[in-house]
Amino acid sequence: MFPINFGLLGYLIPHFVLMKEIQTRNVQDEELIQSLAAGDTKTLNAIYCSCYPTIEKMVFKMNGTVDDAYDTFQDALTILYEKAKAGDLQLSCRFSTYITAVSKHIWLKKMAKRKNQSFTSLNEFLEETLGVHDTVNQFFEFENNVARLSQSLQQIGEPCQSVLSAFYIQNKSMQDIALEFGYTNAENAKTQKYKCLNRLRKLFFTEEKELKIQ
Amino acid sequence: MNEQEHIYELVEKYCHGLMDDKEKLFFEIDMETNPALANLVYQHQTLIASFDHHNSKEFIRYSLDSIHKNSHSQTGLMLKYMRLHVSKYWRTASVAAVVAVTASILTFLFARSIYKKDTQATYQLLKGEINTIKKDQKAIISEVNKVKRSGVAVPDYPSKYSGTGFAISKNGYLVTNLHVVDGYSKIFTFTEDGTGHESQVVVKDEVNDLAILKINEDDFRFDGSLPYSIKKSNINLARRIYSLGFPKNEIVYNEGYISSETGFNGDSNRFQLELPSSPGVSGAPILDESGNILGIISGKQSQTEGVTFAIHAKQLLDLVKDLPDFSPTELSGNKLRGSNRSAQISQIQPFICMVKVYN
Repeated sequence: MFPINFGLLGYLIPHFVLMKEIQTRNVQDEELIQSLAAGDTKTLNAIYCSCYPTIEKMVFKMNGTVDDAYDTFQDALTILYEKAKAGDLQLSCRFSTYITAVSKHIWLKKMAKRKNQSFTSLNEFLEETLGVHDTVNQFFEFENNVARLSQSLQQIGEPCQSVLSAFYIQNKSMQDIALEFGYTNAENAKTQKYKCLNRLRKLFFTEEKELKIQ
Repeated sequence: MNEQEHIYELVEKYCHGLMDDKEKLFFEIDMETNPALANLVYQHQTLIASFDHHNSKEFIRYSLDSIHKNSHSQTGLMLKYMRLHVSKYWRTASVAAVVAVTASILTFLFARSIYKKDTQATYQLLKGEINTIKKDQKAIISEVNKVKRSGVAVPDYPSKYSGTGFAISKNGYLVTNLHVVDGYSKIFTFTEDGTGHESQVVVKDEVNDLAILKINEDDFRFDGSLPYSIKKSNINLARRIYSLGFPKNEIVYNEGYISSETGFNGDSNRFQLELPSSPGVSGAPILDESGNILGIISGKQSQTEGVTFAIHAKQLLDLVKDLPDFSPTELSGNKLRGSNRSAQISQIQPFICMVKVYN
């Protein structure tokens, strides 16, 4: 469907080849990004088929297991999906090269975390050019926030947890929520939601403070 | 409460980008003047972003999991890899395997043969291989003499083995190592004058490697009684000893000392000497300074030069008890005590004989 099997070579190509690639970058990648932003299943399947084998091999070579490879790929694709959705994915190289670079960076960072080492940067030309480092750092920050969010959600208890999940995660309308949770009307449900959100906000940010003190 | 709710609604509207331009402008001015509101917006945005991230992550995981499960990519990939490598490298791999197997078998065989050689070599019997000894003129003369004197002639072909024997009675009993004569019927004892006398094995002691020979001539007598005595005596370390034997066709004198009370590998029937020995001295007597026979040479250690093993004289005394026509008293007299070494040897020499066996 699109010429993506560029693989690990993406790391090894010298500067001028990369420049040439940027110039002749395939237009199809643009379409790919658009359909990725829409969350099209066929597109995800295509990305998986063309990129995952390369990334699996790479993670294998860097002391990872199959599960590690799959998790890494999933994280990388999440990053790209979010960026695509935000209209923030401006590629200066091929899509496959980019996702491989991101995966490599994620995996290295995870390995460093496991060994309790700090991981700064690879200092590689390609990664610097693509700004992979910042992207991946931001991703890990989000991951942190999500972990804290689910912790806070568990702490606020019912019915707040269900109400907030229904609205923010399951994307239900206020009418539906009012019906499901037995509120007289949508306005009442909305009031309840605001109260819950306020409590969640307080829990979330006091914990942040506690974490900072620790 | 209602006011608070209103603020929340505005914040949410702002964060989701649902305000029109005018509303947005006012709100942003509000935020600038009211830091508490700005903080609230920031916190709300963070929460919304976290929810969004969670949702995207779940979406990707949900979509990928179904693809991943259906594709069996990793196993397929592994199989593809293996097949690729097998088809690409089977020639090299099989050659390497053959080389490895051959090398290990060869190493095994080689190591085993070295080990075998070692155990064989540690203990050498000292019978002389006659092929390595030149027949000298004296032997030829003696054979000529023999033909003249006695009925049984010494064979005119080279003997198989030779060793040393010494007399234990005047009437022709001799002691030598069993390994010198075992398995052969044509045994000849050569006395000092070079004459060969046909002999036969009367007693064998396979455990102690001893054989008693009898010269097959009724009228045979050694000149005079035995000069040495054979005694059970203590084996004292560092005791000076000497020996007389036939590593060649002439008698050879050697001296040394007792270096250990046990023999090869702790064998208590033997003891160890520091004494040069060479093939042919098997059966030679070990004498102490006053002329008592302490033992009989039987072998040596191959790797160490000069280490010789001897059988205790006690084993010999046990053996001669029941010989016919033999009195053990003959073994107790010692005529050598007090005389110097060369005088002792000239008296002993007639009673030490060379023993040869023929096919």
